[in-house]
Amino acid sequence: MKLIGYLSALLPLALVLHFTGSTALAQDKAQAKIQASSIQILMVQSDEVKLPVEFQLALYENLIEQVQKTNKFQHVYRDGDTAAANAADLVILHSNVYGFKKGSEGKRQVTTVAGATQIKVHCLFTEKAGKSELAQDVTGNVRFIGGNLRATFDFAKKVAQIVVTNFQ
Amino acid sequence: MHETDVQIGNSRLDEEKSNMKMFRALTILFAATVVSMGVSSLAVPCLAQDAKTGNVMSFADTKQVLGLEGLKHNVTGTLAVENASLVFTKGKKKVVVPAATIQEVMTGKDTERTIGGTVGTLTMFAPYGAGRFLSLFRTKIDTLSIEYLDPSGGVHGAIFTLPEGNALDAKKALLSQGAKTSVPVEVEAEAQAKPKEKKQ
Repeated sequence: MKLIGYLSALLPLALVLHFTGSTALAQDKAQAKIQASSIQILMVQSDEVKLPVEFQLALYENLIEQVQKTNKFQHVYRDGDTAAANAADLVILHSNVYGFKKGSEGKRQVTTVAGATQIKVHCLFTEKAGKSELAQDVTGNVRFIGGNLRATFDFAKKVAQIVVTNFQ
Repeated sequence: MHETDVQIGNSRLDEEKSNMKMFRALTILFAATVVSMGVSSLAVPCLAQDAKTGNVMSFADTKQVLGLEGLKHNVTGTLAVENASLVFTKGKKKVVVPAATIQEVMTGKDTERTIGGTVGTLTMFAPYGAGRFLSLFRTKIDTLSIEYLDPSGGVHGAIFTLPEGNALDAKKALLSQGAKTSVPVEVEAEAQAKPKEKKQ
């Protein structure tokens, strides 16, 4: 009986500790997130590797589309957009391709193991002034179903996930 | 007794005849389908008029892979170069890109599954590797990529696929209407012809 009495006294204390702990953790996480109301996505560069122009454009367009879908920013500006100059609280996304392997859709469908397309991109989020906020390497793949350009969609989806987890 | 045997014999003969007719009809239908598939792939849907004078040049069966505002991905329609603009029409929807805003036009070559789309994907689940067998049949296509600016200076990219042999004509037409490129048509034509020479 005594034991039950002790346990019943400890239970509310444990619950209180649990909830205060979790809210404190959530506050920490929220504090770690980057605050920005708008983003400018620059054209994808490929200084190190030769990237076909259709891949470059598909990376850029998919990136804009997927970042817009996250609804994390009031404005998503394109590269060269003059309105971005006046935007407050702006982050700029720089993307540089450092690895590219063009596979074959035919090989993928016939063998199911060979012919994968892979694009490796270094993504850097900076402030307007150029100060780095976040840097991450992202890989876009297409291993089985879909054309080669689907790797660009995979990449854009992963970047959108990074935006969701790191931006307020 | 003999009469009934004869009657039964006649009904069997009729049944066999009708089966044979059905088989022949199916064979003819299959052959017609194969022929129509072959003819449709051979047909060049370009309705070009004149690239030098700058009149209307249109390319039917063009797929807009991505990039045009207000259109979904992988939409098939007609690409036309008219009145100093690139015009893509899909049903009632029409997207116009002024040629003067086009900063880059590039062409390329690729292949796609002859039987594509949802049907093509579903064939993967067909028994005895039929899907894999069908994916060996591929159609050659041309790709056309453009980079253009919107009124506020934002860069856009759009990718199209056209039936084989049309992308260079489309590029020529766009350049004649005021579009810009870093790679001249002749250089691209040479680069695309080289792999063929190697094979020979």
